[in-house]
Formats: sequence, C-alpha cells, structure tokens
Amino acid sequence: MKKIATATQIIAERPFYLEQAEELHIAKTAYHNGLPILLKGPTGCGKTRFMQRLAWELTRPLITVSCHDDLSTSDLIGRFLIKGGEAVWMDGPLTKAVRTGAICYLDEIVEARKDTTVVIHPLADDRRELPIEKLGETLTAPLEFMLAISYNPGYQSVLKDLKQSTRQRFVSFEFNYPPPELEARIVLEESGIEQPLAEKLVQMATMTRSLKDSGLQEGASTRLLIHAGKLIKSGIQPRTACKATITETLTDDHEMLAALEEITSSLF
Amino acid sequence: MPDAALDEIFRQIAAIWPVSHALCNSFLKTVKKGLTCLHHSQLADWVKTILAAYESGGLHQTRQLLERVEETFLCAIRGETGISLAEVTGRLQPYATGLAGHPLELIPGQEVYTDTEAVYLPPRIAIFPKQTDNFLFYKLIISFQWAFTAIGTFSLHLPEGSPAIPAATRRQRTVPPPACICLNDYFNLFAKPAVAAHLFHLGETARATTFLRERLPGLMRESAPIFQALARTIPQSAGGSTGDLQRTILLRAAQDAGETPSAPHPVTSLFDGLFRENATSQDSACFATKAYARFLDQAGEPAPPIIFQGVLRPAEVLAVQRKKRAAAKEQFIEALAAVINAQPPQDAPGEKEKNEAQGTGFPELEGQTAAVIPPEGAEKDAPDTKPPGEKTLEFITIDDSHIDLPDKLKKMAREIVEDLGQIPSQYISSAKQAAGKGLAQGNAPPPREGEPLAGANLFIFDEWDYRRAGFRKNWCSLAVKKIIPVTGTFVGNTLERYRGHLTRLKRQFEMMRNQERFVRRQKDGNEIDLDALIETLADIKAGLSPSEDLYIRLARDKRNISALFLVDMSSSTEGWVNTALKEALILMCEALEVLGDTYGIYGFSGMRRTRSELFRIKDLAEPYNDEVKGRIAAIGPQEYTRMGPPIRHLTRLLAESEARIKLLITLSDGKPEDYDDYKGEYAIEDTRHALIEAKAQGVHPFCITIDKQAHAYLPHMYGEVNYICIDEVGKLPNRIPEIYRGLTS
Ligand SMILES: Nc1ncnc2c1ncn2[C@@H]1O[C@H](COP(=O)(O)OP(=O)(O)OP(=O)(O)O)[C@@H](O)[C@H]1O
Ligand SMILES: [Mg+2]
Repeated sequence: MKKIATATQIIAERPFYLEQAEELHIAKTAYHNGLPILLKGPTGCGKTRFMQRLAWELTRPLITVSCHDDLSTSDLIGRFLIKGGEAVWMDGPLTKAVRTGAICYLDEIVEARKDTTVVIHPLADDRRELPIEKLGETLTAPLEFMLAISYNPGYQSVLKDLKQSTRQRFVSFEFNYPPPELEARIVLEESGIEQPLAEKLVQMATMTRSLKDSGLQEGASTRLLIHAGKLIKSGIQPRTACKATITETLTDDHEMLAALEEITSSLF
Repeated sequence: MPDAALDEIFRQIAAIWPVSHALCNSFLKTVKKGLTCLHHSQLADWVKTILAAYESGGLHQTRQLLERVEETFLCAIRGETGISLAEVTGRLQPYATGLAGHPLELIPGQEVYTDTEAVYLPPRIAIFPKQTDNFLFYKLIISFQWAFTAIGTFSLHLPEGSPAIPAATRRQRTVPPPACICLNDYFNLFAKPAVAAHLFHLGETARATTFLRERLPGLMRESAPIFQALARTIPQSAGGSTGDLQRTILLRAAQDAGETPSAPHPVTSLFDGLFRENATSQDSACFATKAYARFLDQAGEPAPPIIFQGVLRPAEVLAVQRKKRAAAKEQFIEALAAVINAQPPQDAPGEKEKNEAQGTGFPELEGQTAAVIPPEGAEKDAPDTKPPGEKTLEFITIDDSHIDLPDKLKKMAREIVEDLGQIPSQYISSAKQAAGKGLAQGNAPPPREGEPLAGANLFIFDEWDYRRAGFRKNWCSLAVKKIIPVTGTFVGNTLERYRGHLTRLKRQFEMMRNQERFVRRQKDGNEIDLDALIETLADIKAGLSPSEDLYIRLARDKRNISALFLVDMSSSTEGWVNTALKEALILMCEALEVLGDTYGIYGFSGMRRTRSELFRIKDLAEPYNDEVKGRIAAIGPQEYTRMGPPIRHLTRLLAESEARIKLLITLSDGKPEDYDDYKGEYAIEDTRHALIEAKAQGVHPFCITIDKQAHAYLPHMYGEVNYICIDEVGKLPNRIPEIYRGLTS
C-alpha cells in the first residue's frame, strides 16, 4: 500500500511565530468567513510555522499533506481496506479534516496531478462540499474546517502551474524573508545563539540573497540560518557551521563556493 | 594599427595557418586585444608559446594564453610574481556584490578608488611573499572602498555655521555661503585642497576601520598581520606627521595596543575620537579643519595614502550620481508619459488648465498642471521622523483627474524623492509634453490585431509597454516575405560533413516515433496494478460493484506535435552564427522527416516598428524539398531583432493548428533590440510578454540563445525553465536536435 506523508497535529503550545505584516489577522478573518487560503513564497520562510500558529490561535487540529505527483484522489479522500475479512472504509486526510472540523494544509500543491487538484474545487468555493463517490455521500464542511494550500512560485515548470480556476478560489498570502531585525530575532529564538551572532547570520543571508540571479538560484533561507545557529550553539566554529549549513547547500559551483567562503570568512 | 604591427601579424599567420586553421582563427580574434598590452615585437615570442601549448595540449590549452595575455605570458617574461586582479575576480566579484547589495564592479586601474558603482584596483598585487596574503589584500581594499560608501563619506553635508567650515572662510565671504556644503566644495574652502582632502580621508579611514571591525570582524582579524606589516613600512618621523595617524589607524585595525604616541596633542585626541562608533563624516571634517593649519606648517608633502585607502574622487562619485539621476529622470518621464497616454482622452486638455496642486508636502508644485501626491493617512505606523517626501506616492493629478501609478512608477518616484527630497516639477511637465508628442506620432493605424493589412502579407500587432503595464495598440506591423532559394553546395556540404552524426540522429528520432508510457488503472495490459486491485477487493467486500480497471498498460501514443522554428536573422548573426544556424536547421529537418512531426521554419528581422519582417522558409504544411533546402541556404543576416511581432504571429499560426502539443522554438543570439526605442528593459519586457501570450494560447515556447554568457536577464525574459543558453556556436548543429528530442520525449 502506498504511504502518503500526512501528519495530524493538535497544537498545545503556542508556536513561536513573528508576524511580518498582518497575515495572522487576515488569515483569521478569512477563516471566520469560510474562505480558504493560499500561501506562496520561497522555501524556508515560515509558511509551515505560520500554519501551526494559525491552528493554535484558532484551536483547531492541523492536518498537513505533502503533495507529490503520485498522489491520487483516494489518497486524499479515502478508500476501503480489508481488515479481518471485512471491508472497512478509511477516511483520507482531507475527509478526516472535513469531518472533524480541522485545518487541512496541502503543502506544495503543484506537485500533485491536476486531476487530483480538482477534488478540492467544490470544497474551496462557497459550496464547501466534499463528494465521496464510493460512499455515495457528500459532506458539507462545518464552519470550523479550513483549507490551506501552499506553493513555491520559484520552481515552476510549464507542466506544474497552478490553474487559474484553482488559484482564484483562495485568499492569497505572499511570504518572503523577514526584514533583518525580525529575522535576527527569529534566529535567536529558534537556535538560542546570542544577538550579535544572529545578526551576523542574517547579514550573511542578505549578502547571499543579493547574489540571486548573479550566480545563485536562491539566497539562504531563514531555515538555513537557524540550522547554522544551532550548530554554532552546540560548539561548532561559525565558519565551519556556515560552510556546512549555508554555503554547501546553496551551490555546487566551485567559484561561487569560493566567493561565499570569502563572505563567511569576512563576517566571522 | 601601425603597418609594422600588421606586417608582424601577417608573418605570424603564416606560421600558425599550416599548424591549425582553427587556431589561426582564434588568434586573429584575440590578437587585437593582445596588442593592447604587447608590443608587436613581442608577437613572435607570444605565438611561439601559443604554438607550443597547442602542440602539447590542443586548442583548448591555448585559450588561456590567447585570452589572458597579461597574466599568462607577460608576467612570466617579466618574471613577476604576485596575483592578478583577473585571477581573483571570479571569486571576489560576488563578494563585492554581496557586500554592496548591488553590482559593484571590480575594474583594474592606476589608482585605487571607488565611484560607488565600481572599485578601481591595482591590476596586480605582489606586495607580500605569500599569495594568500596578496589575495587577502585585494579583499581588504575592496572592503575598505565599499566601507567609504557605506559610512557616508561621499554624502558629507556641512550645514551653515558648522565648526568644520574653516573660520577664515566664514568671515571672508562676500557672497552668502551656500545653504550646505558637500564634499568637493568643502575641500575647495582651503588654500591647499589636497591637504584637506588627505586629512579628511584619514579621518574617514579611521571611521571605516571601526565600521569594518564591527561588520566584518573575520576579515579584520585575518588581516591583522597585514596591518602590522604595513605599519612597519611607515617611516618614524617627528611627532605629528600624518604618518603617525596612519600608524594609529593600522595598529587600531590590527587591534594592537602597541605604543601610544608619547605626548597626546589635542589634534591627536580629536583623531582618536573618530574611532568611536558614533562618529560621523562631519566629525572627520572638523578634525581635518582643525589639523589643517598644523600639518600645513610642516614642510613637504603629506605621506602617501595607505594602499587600501586609495584616493577620494568626489567628482567621479558626483558623476555617477548625476548619471543615475539623469537616467532616473528619463525613465520617470518616459514612464509617466506612457501612463498619461494610456488615459482615456479628455475633451479638451490644456484648455481648462486648472492648475491645482493638491500637494501635501509638495508646495513647490503650486501652479503646475500635475502633482504626485502621497495618499492621506497611509503609512499608519511610520515613525514621524521621516521627512514628508518619504511617504509613498500613489497617484498623480493632471487637470483634475486622478491617475493611479503602476507599482514600477511608484518605486521610481520613491527613489527620486529619496535622492532629491521631492519630484521636481519639471519632471512632470516634461512627461506631459512627452505624452502629447507621443499621441501626435501615433498615426491612426488600421483595425484588428494580427489581421492582414492592405496586401495579404502585412499584419498589425500590439506591443507590450511595461511602463504603463498595457499594450501600445496596433503599434507594429509585420510583413511576411518570401525568401529566394539559392542553389549551391551548402546543403550538400552540410549533409556530407555531418554524415556520421546524421545517421545517429535519424536512428534516435526513429525510436521516438512512438511515445511509450505506463498508464495505470486500465481494462487490459501487461501487468497488474496492485494498488487498484487491493482497492477493488476492498470495494467488493464493501458491497460496491468492482472496478475492472486493474491493469497497467504500456501505451504507445501517436505523436501529435506541431513545431515552428523562429530563426534570428539580425545583422549580429553574420558569419559563424549564421552558418551554424543553417547547418542546425538542415540537420533538424532531416531528423524531423524521419520522426514525422509537423514543422515549419521562419526567419525574422526588424527595422523599426513599422518594418518587422518575417521570412517564410517552410510553413507547417509544406513538404521538405529542394526549394526549402535552397531557402535555408539563403538565410542571411538582415537588420535588427524585434522579437515581439514574429513571436505573436507564429503563436497565431500554431494556435490555429490542431496538434496536441504546439512548440515554438526560437533561435537567437542575444538581446532583442531594434533601431528605435525597442531596447533594454522595454524590449525584454515585450518579448517576455509575447511569450506569456503564447503560453496562454496553449503554445509551449522554448528559446535557444547563442551567447558566451548566460545573461542575468534571460531567466526573466524567457521564464526560468523555458530557455537554454549555448555558449559555443560550434555546438549548435549537434545541440538543437538534442534539445528538440528532450523537449518532446
Ligand atoms: N515569521 C517567523 N516566525 C518564527 N519562525 C519563523 C518565521 N519564519 C521562519 N521561521 C523559522 O524558519 C523555519 C522554516 O520555516 P518553515 O518550515 O515554516 O518554512 P516553509 O515556508 O514551510 O518552507 P518550505 O516551503 O520549504 O516548506 C521554521 O522552522 C521557523 O523556525
Ligand atoms: Mg513547509
């Protein structure tokens, strides 16, 4: 049987999340109006963390599905399984979320095949319905249910674009790397390093981000900075930590690697 | 070029030609550049080295020698050591750009300085015995030069009555002094501006040292031995020379407590204050003014600057600023004019000039016909310390009607306000004027988009204007023309030359004739779909009617592809590129004949918006025959590269075809550019938009660019995944069929 990557979380503790604009407020307002949300932005800039915080504030469970190209409608909606000679219906994560009034977060939605994506259409417009063909029933989502999807506009290929008919059902949020002070605070909180080091890491990230398009595909994400911070906190030399977590992950090009090392050795 | 040099070149050709024609070609391409640093009498030696390299390692080995005469040849014969800027640029250019946050070019020059957009550096550094130290020193110079810009050395502004303005000038002035004094004016307040500049620069270097120790602690730590070594080279002199100040800087930079000057002088302690983190460029000026008299008394010239200090060139900085400002002005006016033009026409503009500037924060605009206005109550949480000009500009009013500004224009307006504190009213009146002119020029063009005009071979297209985020309606015309076939040996030669390759190609394409793929949940097939089977068993148990779709089948789909090739025939393709393009087309046709895809070929060239030309070489329905071969052979360079109209035309042709997959493959050799204003960003944005339009109509565009460099604008223009850059013309004939194969299998 295929495994699909899903996780159901009941978030008991307030996740640490620093707001960049009013995204939490707007997302909550969307929730109270029964509107689904779409998060877009580069990798590692806080989309998942934002969903966790939102789920906590709304006191709803968060069901996350990582989409991939083999994801079928049954994977989302459910299927019959045989247990002890009996056929037993198993709800898929989407159905489960609708039944329990949870937040269903479909991460990297563009990775899923188009025929899979369309099952969310009736759920994402004002019908808020989920037809389950095999059971011959149609669920109507309770007020507590929310649908959220995410994608990274950077890695699109012609074959993997989000259809207009899909996008236009959502309230959209654009995520980006936080401004320097905010980002330093995030790195500090998450990794436990001191303020000056956190600032240096952010400075490093800013420098790599200005190299996007002149040699780098992407600059360093907040996530990478936190990784670097954690290694440093555990006693690894800053230069070594940056090489392992930032430089080497960003590129394989030798000249670029050398240039990034020049940056690290200047900063630390 | 002197005759003697020419003679020498011819002599060398005679030596190279018999060894390798290709090498001779490369030699001819680079010799001119080589002669910029070689004397022609050295040419023979150079060629000897090149030939030796060729014989031992082939053409590839000689490339470095040919291209980089300075380091690979000259230095060796001079017996020089050290490291050259060319060697370190690959590594330090991204470093500089990263530091500055914008491209900061590294350029070899006589003197070290920065104009804020580039850093001028010695072409070679051979100060230290260790190469790593020489490299580090390059890095250090770059960092210091960047630091001067970052700490605001060039934006010195002395308000009236500032203690930095020498007392003598304050009293002697007959004309009222300017409201504030900037860097260049400041030096000119002194009888010896060079001395003042020297002292001010020392002060700023002190500040830069502190700044860099805070910002780039790693660099400063590693450079400590360099600082110490430099400090040792400064001659000890009687107390108070600028040499002492330089030593202070170097020792501070090295974090070396060292000896403090014995008798602290007031000027020295003023200088020490500049190492505090909150010191400003005004403080440096105060120091310079105070120290001026004292150092003037001393005989002789001031000590030469420390190498990484370089020199200050306020005039060059100013020139860069002016250039940027002028460019910003031009862009702003052009963009604003475009926005104004895009407005629906008013009954009688200009007649009721109700000159009202509802300017909050723009009193200077009273009496103008237009104003850029910040929205009221925006910026809810912006601190009040911001000057009024820094509010965001949202719209303009012209003759009473509000015009919303597109984001791009808003950004331009913001940058201008940041620079000048306001949008000069002249900018807006010029834009209005320009807008008026534009309208007069647009002579009423004929009706519908893409419809044949007059003759059946003329088509009209809109063009995308990014500045107004809208189309210029009926802006260009495109003539579809015939190309007269030539008979000759080109096709035969090409087929002969690539015979082996062609056989392989044909075999590969033959294998692609059918596309194979696995499809799940089929009624029959050669394998069981386990997932489906398990699910069905469960369904049966649950009392549902079982599905019969339980197999995985290897499906062979018939290819259903139409492809159009659009070939650049601009003048820049002259020579090699043109030949390679034609060879590639011949190979492509031969291969496609085997494959059976429908395909067509068009060439394009342009001369202004009214004369874009599209040359039909083979349309989709036409068979590949001698006539078509003759037309391919006849492809020749014409004029400019206006890419929008041909892309739009071919998109239309493809949209009409019934194929399942529609491919538009463009082959060009660089930036789109026409004779008129179809250039730069405008041309890139129009091309990009034409490609987006193509996609919207179900056409997959793919762009092949022949260029040594993969330019930064390419991903934007073509879209990250829709292009490829081929750096060597010679690879073209082999690569293009390969690319086609990749695209369609
Ligand atoms: N605004 C923020 N507040 C708190 N933490 C943040 C914030 N932004 C990013 N982070 C931190 O960055 C890390 C990466 O963020 P997250 O996992 O949410 O990225 P993502 O956008 O989901 O990336 P991907 O697209 O790769 O899944 C988080 O673990 C979190 O520590
Ligand atoms: Mg995530």
